[in-house]
This record gives sequence, C-alpha cells and structure tokens, in this order.
Amino acid sequence: FLLDSGIAYPVLAGYPRNSEDEEYVLVNNKCQCVTVTSKFVPSKENPGEEILERNIRILVPLKARENISDPLSPLRTTFVYRMTELCKKCDPVEIELGGEIYQAQQSTSCDEPETCYTYNRDKCYTTTFPFRYHGEIKNVQAVLTPASCYAD
Amino acid sequence: MTLLAFIFLLAFLPAESASSRYLPKAASNPVFGPRQVYGLLKGSVTVKCFYPPTSVNRHDRKYWCKESATGCTTIVSTSGFTAPGYQGRVSITDYPLAGSFQINMTGLTEAEEGTYQCGVGINGRGLSHKVSLDVSEGPHVPEGAELFYVKLYSTLTVSCSFGPDYASTRKYLCKMEKSGCQNVIDTHQKFGEDYVGRVRLSNEAAPGSFSVIITQMGWEDSGLYVCGAGTYGESGESKELDIHVYEDSKVPQGKPTIFGVKGSSATFECRYEALRKSSVKSWCKWRDNKCPNIIDSSGFVSPSYEGKVAMYNNPHNNTYTVILNQLKDSDKGYYWCMTDEEKEQQSSTELKIIDGQPGLEGNKNVEAQVGSRVDLTCSYSCKYYSYQKYWCKWNNTGCVLMPSSDQRQPGTDVTCDTDNKTVILSFDSVAKTDQGWYWCGVKRNGLFGETMAVYLEVTGGELQGKDRQGLSCSSGLHAEPPSHAEPGFIPKGKSYSEAGVRSAAASESSDPSHGPNKLVLILSPVGVVLLVLVAAFAVFKYRQLKRSDLVSVGSYRTNISMSDFETVKEYSASNNACVQESQETQMGGDEFITTTAPPESAAETKKAKRSSKEDADLAYSAFLLTSSNITQGGPGGDSAAPDGPPPNWEGQI
Repeated sequence: FLLDSGIAYPVLAGYPRNSEDEEYVLVNNKCQCVTVTSKFVPSKENPGEEILERNIRILVPLKARENISDPLSPLRTTFVYRMTELCKKCDPVEIELGGEIYQAQQSTSCDEPETCYTYNRDKCYTTTFPFRYHGEIKNVQAVLTPASCYAD
Repeated sequence: MTLLAFIFLLAFLPAESASSRYLPKAASNPVFGPRQVYGLLKGSVTVKCFYPPTSVNRHDRKYWCKESATGCTTIVSTSGFTAPGYQGRVSITDYPLAGSFQINMTGLTEAEEGTYQCGVGINGRGLSHKVSLDVSEGPHVPEGAELFYVKLYSTLTVSCSFGPDYASTRKYLCKMEKSGCQNVIDTHQKFGEDYVGRVRLSNEAAPGSFSVIITQMGWEDSGLYVCGAGTYGESGESKELDIHVYEDSKVPQGKPTIFGVKGSSATFECRYEALRKSSVKSWCKWRDNKCPNIIDSSGFVSPSYEGKVAMYNNPHNNTYTVILNQLKDSDKGYYWCMTDEEKEQQSSTELKIIDGQPGLEGNKNVEAQVGSRVDLTCSYSCKYYSYQKYWCKWNNTGCVLMPSSDQRQPGTDVTCDTDNKTVILSFDSVAKTDQGWYWCGVKRNGLFGETMAVYLEVTGGELQGKDRQGLSCSSGLHAEPPSHAEPGFIPKGKSYSEAGVRSAAASESSDPSHGPNKLVLILSPVGVVLLVLVAAFAVFKYRQLKRSDLVSVGSYRTNISMSDFETVKEYSASNNACVQESQETQMGGDEFITTTAPPESAAETKKAKRSSKEDADLAYSAFLLTSSNITQGGPGGDSAAPDGPPPNWEGQI
C-alpha cells in the first residue's frame, strides 16, 4: 500500500512548484573550500522513483601553505575533509519561540579552531615579516589579501 | 479508495518542504548581468553587471573576458589591463557605491560574437556572469531584458508602459517557469499562489502604463519575468524582465513574518529612506487588492482600531514602529507600510497569530467613579524583569507617556512594585478627562516590545448627582453599564464587553445574533474536515521525511571525474570564492594566463571517468602520476584559472 502511493505520488503531485527540481546548498565552507548541494534525481535503476543526490565539490589548493597566514611555512601536503565537520552549522540563526525571536547556534563544539586550507574572501589575512630599513630590522605587517582588508 | 482520496487531499496542501531551510543553488552566484546582448556591425554595445556592494567586492578587480577553449581571456579589467587588439575600443568603469560596473565595446566585428563573462575578482573563480553577444547587420536590434538587482526581502517596483492603445486591455506580470509563463498578478485580480498579500498592481497616470510592486523578495523570486498588455503568447505587447535577488549579509532586512500571541501585541518596524522625512507614513491591512489605512502619521486612526494601534516615528534610524495590540485571530494577514511619495518605500509583513501566554496581564476594563482613587495595574512576567516598563495614555497621534513626577493631574503616579512584578498607574482623584485607553508596555534599547491596553471608564458618581438635577438625563447616560451593545461603543472598545458581544465585534458583522446552536452545527463538519486534513498532512510530512532524510549508505555514488583535477579551472561557485594563497596577479601586466596541460595526461585522465569504486581507485592512482607531471611541467605563474567548460555539477567526486 505504501509502495503504491510512493510511485503514484510523483505522478499526481504537480503542485510542488519548484521544490523537486531545484538544487539546494547544504554546505558552503569557505575555509576548506567545499560545497555540498543536493537535489532529487530519478533513480537509475527505477526511473519512476526519485532519490536524493548529493554533490560534493572539493577544491584542493595544491599550492597552499601549512599555515595560510604565514607564507614562509612549508607547502601543505595533507588535506583532510570530514563530512561531520563540514556539516556543522555554527552560524547563529534566528528561530521563533513563543512569539519571540531568538538567535541560536545549531551545533555544539563550535569553539574548536578550524584549520583553513584557503582564504575566506570576507576576512583579512595579514602577516608580519622582517623589514630592513636604514640598517634596522623591523617587523612590519603586510596584507596577504588586499581586497578584503579595506576599512570601509 | 482512501488512497486516492489521500493523494487528492495532499495535492491541495501547501508544500512545506524541508528544502526551504536551505538556499537554492542559484543563490550562490551573486554577480548578475544581461544574458543576451545584441549589437550591430561596427556599432557599440554596453553591458552592465551587478554585484553585492560588500567591502571586498567594491575594492576587488572587475573584469570582462571572452570565453575560449582554454579558459576566459581577459579583454579589459579595472586593474588597468586592455588586451592587444582592443586598445581604445573597450572601456570598463566601476561604480562601487552603486554595486555595478559597465563595459563599453565599440567597433564590433563579426568575430567578436560569442560568450563573454563579466566578473569580480580573478578569472574563472565563479564570481562571474555569462553574457552572450550577438553581432548582426541590422538595421533593427532586439531589445534585451530589463535588469533588476534586488536585495533579499526588499521591495521591487517594476513599471511597464505600452502606449495609449492598450489603456483598457488586461495588463499582467508573469514569471517564466518550465511550464510556461505563470501568472503573478493581473488586472483581473488573479494572483499566483505564492504572491498573495505581497503583490500590488496599480495603473499609472499615463494611459497604458502600470506598475507592479512585489515585497519580501525571496530567493525563489529570481528569474525571468514578462510584463505585458493582452495575453502572453497570444496577443498584445510584452517586455522581458530579468530579476536577481542577492543577499547583503551586513544589513538586516525586515523579518517577513511576525508572530503575535493571541491577546497580546505585535510590533512592526517599517523602514524608509531618509529622503523625505516629512512625508505621511501610513500602515494598512491588505485585503482583496485594497489596502485600507489603519493608521498614519497625520493622526488618522481607523475607527475600529481605536486604542488598538499606535505609531512611533524614529527619524534617527529611518524607521517607524507600529504596535498592534489586543490581537485576535482575525488580525492575521498582510500589513503594508507605505509612504505617500516613493513607491519603493513600501514593505509588507505577514502577521500570524499563535496561542500563548501574553507577557503582560491585568484588568482590561476598569470603571471608576469621578473623584475616586484608581489604580491601573499591569503584571509583567519574569522575562520583562530587565526591561523598561511604562504607562501611557492613548490618543490618535500616539501614546503619550504618563509622567512620573511632574504631572498635569495631581496625584497621578507611576510605581513599580518589584516584589510582585506589577506596574501601577494610579490616579488620586480621577476626572472625566481621564477616561480613555491606557497602555502598559515594555521597552528595551529603544525598541518597543509588548503592550497591553486597558480602558478606563469614569462614571459620574452620586456626589455629582445633587448638583446636576437638570442634567440627570446626561449623567444617567454616563452611568449606563458598558455592556449595552450600542453601535457607538463597539468600535471603541474591543476588549470592552462580554464574550457574546466580543465575538460579534470580532467577526465585524452587523448581525451579532448567531445562536450557539447554529455555531455548533457549522463547526462540527468543519472539525471533521480539519481532522481529515490533519491526518493527510501528517502522512505527507512522513513522506517528506522519508524522501529527504532517509538516505542509505549504498545510495552514495562516488564519481570522481578526473578531468577536474587535470587543469586548475572552475573554483568554487560560491558567494565568496576561495582565494588561493599563492595567487600573484601581476599588476598592470599581461593577464592572459593559461596552463597548458600536457596532452598525454589529458587523454589519460579523461579515460578515468568511471562510476565504480575500484575503477575510481585506479583512476586516482593515475591522477597522482599526472598531477606530479602537471606541478613540475606547468608554467611558473600559477593558474589564474583559465575558465573551462561550464561547471560540471553532475557526478562530481
């Protein structure tokens, strides 16, 4: 009985305007450069049935340094991607409880620092380097991502 | 059969999909421009592209490049580069404050037909928009679609005019979907189901022209639209519109839905641009394509809302606040904030009524004798402990705060008894002029919170009777008990009287005498239908859950397509593309950067496209070999990513 309705359902339900055709972004991790999107596609074995397909797109920055804020650190050779970490939602979202809007964080363990493999375009990355001027060596701050570091 | 009946019912339920929690993928590319541009031979063409005006985007490099087999070669960019062959013919100008940049190409030749990209940042990173350029001999060049770039949850105004010939024909706005052009709104009052309450069509002064206002623009509202006169595809004229919604995460927009607890109050915030502070601001409830004013800043209050609504202006942050209290189920709906001048300032909010415990409680109807001492008490719940509490007297222009120390009426005092958590407004000797609506409210950080309304009625007492024998009739009027359902009283006092009259006033019908029997008769079949609907909805949700969350491990297909590893193209198409640390763009130098992948490795890696795990392992080891070839053999300057074929979203990894 249930299987029947499962097959008949996609045929009869013309009403969901856009929910089944669109691809949705589940993860957009700018630190590790991973995007996960999902959508429903017809199953290859059984074209009448729809299954959930998840597309995981990882861009591996092969020339990145171990510490992206330090251009003098060695090249990174190990890249680790964990779905559980990527799917963690640490940004506070607004939810409504009893008529009041609250900001809530959806995951625990959000305080652990993330090691980033690449730059987040919205953040400013700087480094200090020794600069010799008039015989004196000073540690000068330099910007690694100029476009992100403007004050306005 | 019941199965068919269930499915039939399901077809009419609103689709509350789990996917509404997530952004659609289309939202991840915020750079927007025209899809198709038409130019004449030896003529010129102007392309305007938009981007969210965040700090990074405003300062970043803007470019215009032509797509080719090896990527996207820059023609002109804001870092000062112009490709050879285009010197003096092409210009690019950035307007960072407006969030757009413009490219002008002159002296078009046939060879210049093709696909281009306008973008921000570095070529091929995905922060770009594809533009298709068509060069024809002419003489007539089709008009491209009109572009609209709107912020999420803001209001969009579109105007179309077709000349006086079409003054009396049907005007419409429809959205292009896979199944054709779906109606959004037209002059025959037909609305698309997603647009109820947030779309308005109004005719302009010039004959044959009209404008459409859509508020609360969401991600799903991006796309191609057609506005026209007549019927789409059959008769009349039409114009194409291309609308794109972007998010500017720094600036918060108004919340699309506000929840109000029954019996309590709801606060609406309306924003307006600072241009004309002196314009009249009004607030209305949307009903059948009309929006009758409830309150406006000139002091008008709709008679049925007396004591129920108040407006406060905050010129400092360009907002005004409207508070609606004594909420009932019938208050739910769409409310619009408008100014009488700029149409763009309109915004709308949906109010939903939920059951719950109001935070402020007290006696809503107080009767007192003239000259006696009256205490209006307002008990607040624990959550308002740290808020500022106040009492104010309501009038048409607002709610006037009751002063705590210096008072016009002697003996009036505002105290707060913190032990019992009540706020008391007391009158030592109440006078006739004190009659009216009083509001008890809470405030925090300058933002208005919940309020509660109390009606104080002052009756002439026996003390006065002796002096007013001649006026005994009028004093008798005052002494009448309030529950007499006189029409003059009903508009004023919503929380006034007993349940019977209240329900009559709530239904706003002039016939209050529906007996309880009839009510039960109507309610019981409605209840049965509701039960069936709820059951159907539960089944639907279960199916939804089953479809979206139940994914077995076996259904994860891993397709590692090695062609992506081959050359460094197509970075993340997300809003903020990841920047490789080792990117050194040469300032002012040649920006034509490409990687030449050795042909043997290309052949090898292309063969590696498989769909089973063991073949994937084979392909991966082959990749390791070729990647070491690439890193050694590639040119020194690192791939500023030549743009390859369009992003391959199917079967990645």
